[in-house]
Amino acid sequence: MRKLFVIMCALALGCGSGVAAQDKKDDKISTFHAYVDSDVCARLMLGPITESRMECSKKTYKQGSNLVIVRLNDNTVFTVNKTKLVKEHLGGVGKATGEAKTKSGEMKLDSFVPEQISEIPADAPAQRLLDVRTYKAKSTDGLFEKIRHELAMIPYITTFDFISFTMIGDDVVLTGWTVRDTNRSDAEYRVKSVAGVKNVTNNIEILPLGNQDMQIRASARAALQQQLGRYFWSNGSDIKIVVKNGNIILLGAVATKEDSDIATIKCNSVSMAFNVINLLRVEAPPAKNKG
Amino acid sequence: MNGHRASWKNKMVCFAASMIVATAVGCSKPQESTEAALPPIKKIPAGAQFSGFLKDYEALKPNPDVEGEMLTYVSTDAKKNLRSYLAIVVDPIEVYVATDADEKRVNEDSRKALTNYFQHALTMAVSDAFPMVEKPGPLTLRLRVALVGVDIGGQVAAGTVSADSKPLENALNIGKLGVEVELVDSETGERIAAAVDRTNLGAGAEIGAVNFSREEKFAAAREAFDEWASRLRNFLDSAHELKGEDLTRADKSYKPY
Repeated sequence: MRKLFVIMCALALGCGSGVAAQDKKDDKISTFHAYVDSDVCARLMLGPITESRMECSKKTYKQGSNLVIVRLNDNTVFTVNKTKLVKEHLGGVGKATGEAKTKSGEMKLDSFVPEQISEIPADAPAQRLLDVRTYKAKSTDGLFEKIRHELAMIPYITTFDFISFTMIGDDVVLTGWTVRDTNRSDAEYRVKSVAGVKNVTNNIEILPLGNQDMQIRASARAALQQQLGRYFWSNGSDIKIVVKNGNIILLGAVATKEDSDIATIKCNSVSMAFNVINLLRVEAPPAKNKG
Repeated sequence: MNGHRASWKNKMVCFAASMIVATAVGCSKPQESTEAALPPIKKIPAGAQFSGFLKDYEALKPNPDVEGEMLTYVSTDAKKNLRSYLAIVVDPIEVYVATDADEKRVNEDSRKALTNYFQHALTMAVSDAFPMVEKPGPLTLRLRVALVGVDIGGQVAAGTVSADSKPLENALNIGKLGVEVELVDSETGERIAAAVDRTNLGAGAEIGAVNFSREEKFAAAREAFDEWASRLRNFLDSAHELKGEDLTRADKSYKPY
């Protein structure tokens, strides 16, 4: 009996140290230049870090979006455990130190030291996110259209998923939210397969399927379909409803400002929803050719 | 002030009393079993074309998008089709023995052998597209599955399986096995999709142990179950593939931020 106990203890210690070793391997302490952002702006990557991006960060944080940090070297988004350390620096940059897990996009933050953008050396990789000139113009590049088309064809995308992307040179940053693992991996696979793409950073977040969020999704869709049914068709929709921890983010496009306002009102009436962040674009439908 | 203090004290006493009562009620209530009762082993009715597991078979049609012998149905209702759902809750897998087999010879171990592995195979094949959740709810489908046509083989001879595997009393023959599945709205029970897969994948395959996946000699059975699960995924993929006008509209509608 005593022998068995000794063997069990030895096994437990062995397994424990193995797991600890793996953890240590994954959780190296690192320091990098980071931008303090709101989850919504970071996932949508609304362009490089300019005045309008900073405004977006502050506005959507006020509307209920969580705080995150964006590693400037490669645009990876991290949720952090100690938001207090970064809260005051929203819309600014700094040096973040802690255990960063790139795959899960989580970081145990030890410290965050604010810095001026001018303090980051001009030749540092972190400058790429700060420099508008490194971003590709959508209208002049066939590569952008190829990637857009590939992402539009993902079969399991629904009204409740939104995947976006940004190009920095020939590197692609995938962003957005999905409820399905397969969409995250499929998007990365498709974009990597497009000739001309060099690196892909995958910031697509998998949303949890908690009962409350599921209820909100179903109610929000039903509410929007009631009055804005023309934006929904049997296998998709122009309006995307992203629900995360009780917050609704409306994405996509509608034809008029009135429709956008109706969408906000309808989603605000959904019980259990905390906040509605309306990022719908207003795009007038193309004029019909009379000839 | 004193009156306010007395009322506060009364409230505290009431709260403490209610907590004691609640605890007592909670502790005295008999523990409910967390395991749902398993459906009994059934038999395919004599002369019947199908097992009777599905609510109806009339709407099923051969599916050109999936190889092999598969009949399928997918709801085309604009508001209630496969694309309207995000998650799946899986019912316990049901087992139908062949018409001429004796269902009494399929005991709990035999059922476990058949259903545990297939449940695992289904999860592996489907869950990245349809995450599996514990409870029914909004936007959730209920997946009903039956293994149909299990036959009873001979006794499993002693020493046939390795020491750490539990042998079955009788081997299970899956040579004529098929799979019937139905996806229904988990809240209303409305049918959204169904499939009958009679593709013969288990020819010559037998199962002789509860954890047969550990035994190399039952590899053929394992491969057959993996393939049936993979075919179900193919069916779901084909039902999600954008076609015709949907394809054009999805392409036109998608604009990254």
